[in-house]
Amino acid sequence: MAKTISFLQAINEAMAEEMRRDSSVFVLGEDVRIGPFGQTAGLVKEFGEERVLNTPIAENAITGVAMGAAMNGGRPVLELMFCDFTMLAMDQICNHLGQWRYITGNQYAVPITIRTAVGAGFRMAYGHSQCLESQLLQAPGLILVEPSTPHDAKGLLKSAIRSDDPVVFFEHKKLILGGVEGEAPEEEYTIPFGEAVIRKEGKDVTVVAFGFMVYEALNAAQELAQEDIDIEVIDPRTIVPLDQDTIFESVEKTGRLVTVEEGRIRGGLGAEMAALACGDYFSLLKAPVQRIAAPMVPIPGSPVLEDLYLPNKDSIVRAVKRTL
Amino acid sequence: MSLENEKLLELYRKMLLVRAIEQTHGKLLQEGKIQLMSHFGTGQEAVAIGVAGPLRQEDILFGTHRGVGEYIGKGMTAKDIWLEYLGKKTGLCKGKGTLHLCDRKVNIPGLVSSLGSDFSYAVGTALSAKMSKTDQVTLYFVGEGTCNQADAHPSMCMAALWKLPVVFAVCTNQFCEFAYMDEHYPTEDVAIRAAGYGMPYDIVDGQDIETTYKVTEKAIEHARNGKGPYLVEYKTFRMALHHSGDPGEYVKSEDLEKWGKRDPIDLCQKKLQDRGILTGERDQELRKAVQTEVDSAVEEAFSGPDPTVDDLFEDVYAQKEVI
Ligand SMILES: Cc1ncc(C[n+]2csc(CCOP(=O)(O)OP(=O)(O)O)c2C)c(N)n1
Ligand SMILES: [Mg+2]
Repeated sequence: MAKTISFLQAINEAMAEEMRRDSSVFVLGEDVRIGPFGQTAGLVKEFGEERVLNTPIAENAITGVAMGAAMNGGRPVLELMFCDFTMLAMDQICNHLGQWRYITGNQYAVPITIRTAVGAGFRMAYGHSQCLESQLLQAPGLILVEPSTPHDAKGLLKSAIRSDDPVVFFEHKKLILGGVEGEAPEEEYTIPFGEAVIRKEGKDVTVVAFGFMVYEALNAAQELAQEDIDIEVIDPRTIVPLDQDTIFESVEKTGRLVTVEEGRIRGGLGAEMAALACGDYFSLLKAPVQRIAAPMVPIPGSPVLEDLYLPNKDSIVRAVKRTL
Repeated sequence: MSLENEKLLELYRKMLLVRAIEQTHGKLLQEGKIQLMSHFGTGQEAVAIGVAGPLRQEDILFGTHRGVGEYIGKGMTAKDIWLEYLGKKTGLCKGKGTLHLCDRKVNIPGLVSSLGSDFSYAVGTALSAKMSKTDQVTLYFVGEGTCNQADAHPSMCMAALWKLPVVFAVCTNQFCEFAYMDEHYPTEDVAIRAAGYGMPYDIVDGQDIETTYKVTEKAIEHARNGKGPYLVEYKTFRMALHHSGDPGEYVKSEDLEKWGKRDPIDLCQKKLQDRGILTGERDQELRKAVQTEVDSAVEEAFSGPDPTVDDLFEDVYAQKEVI
């Protein structure tokens, strides 16, 4: 049986279900008893203040608190309100979190889930709008998840909470706050990491789009279809591990690759994908790889400028055409 | 503040063992047999052994980079330390941590590389102990220099706010790297910061093992009884240089002379002799036995198996395939 849920509800239900299932799961973060964007709203009513813990504003330290709890049997779900603020916790996330299992010789795992909101479009300017996923690519030992649908958000968040590895889970504000809805099973389900979904099959060009950009890519597909250009849109769902097989098979078919992300271009997800393509699929490529990403400028507050900053359907359409 | 004879003798033996491990480390470095960087805790043994001593096996300890005192105090063995120090496959961390000692058997969850990043881990372990309603205590052992790290503040704040079973044990050895404490602090003491969080604190002599042990024991019981965190500052002196590459000119010779007269091992030895617990002969035997223990640990570690290329990729994730 399927039901319709919103992206926000999906996140909320995943946490609630896992908290019901496993008493070591708890939620902490700034104002999580109310939920600044609403993902954690209502949890305190069912699970009490002890398992829904409001913290002071100290991102690096509260990340460390979650890590310490995880070393001692807890399974914390930590909310870092804005992705921009994860940079305040970079010491924990990049220096220690993903490396603790290794450096302790597998004596201590750190099973925590960090949820954080990414994305621009809300006129919040430079420090509340960024997509900084690629900043974490260099850190070993992390799982990076970015769902685009309510179905995936729920299934992947449940997997994240159950995972014995640390997970950073990116939630796009347009999906959380935009009331995006979708179908999800009534019954319990989880989604494994590293399995991409082909959102639209096509034969001409492979477009790999992350997070909210999946929707821009699907819009581009519609427009391109009118010109008889048939693109394949792949939603990797997890950035690490990346489902390279699905992408490889698609490029084998199309010979063309366009990457789309909302984060900035330099050293971004697309740069990593392009590097993979140059190595592993070089002989398959019929055209240079095109990267669609944000430019190397801060995110401006002006609505006009912010819209110019963001990658969108039109920039994807142009990139696809450049490969043909 | 006196301890039972047997207890005092045991702590004395541990202090001797700690010093022997560190002196052996120094010797091996000097002979060019190892490259492993050293941060010796010479002169601070009564602090390290005194803070770890009263902890139970199930209690959690976060230690420091300086010496092996608290690790030995909590129950790590010389053999395990050396296997790990030499990066052997059979080391506690399979040779991947080396100086970052970690031993789950005795509840030591590891040592961070960036000082103070683990301040908050101690709050986290204490939080989970409280949530699961155990009476486990976490002890966070830290140098005074590291207490200037930003996370010290919210960590102590949360520990007090949530009344967590954690003891902050601050070792004031008068130095942070190559500088005296007065270049790092506008105040004489670090412990007074605890008052800002409504946390009780003590400032004590770090040279006398009975004092360090007893005061720590009191702080641990406070935390164990649900009364929240406690901070103890131990005043001592770093008789060793910061690390093996320290030029050392900045250390005043009168300080070395003054503190050298109150060496914690000498003080304890005198107590034991005055109380008739230790004869000169027994003392020599003890020292010999301790050195033999270290020498055979080192020997065994040198012949331990090295990790292989497979180990390089092992233990990054729960499942190897993810990489
Ligand atoms: C974040 C960070 N900054 C600097 C260092 C370099 N460092 C290593 S030990 C040390 C001195 C720390 O002083 P203190 O906390 O008083 O401990 P002590 O060495 O005196 O035992 C410094 C600065 C480090 N390891 N991590
Ligand atoms: Mg110091």
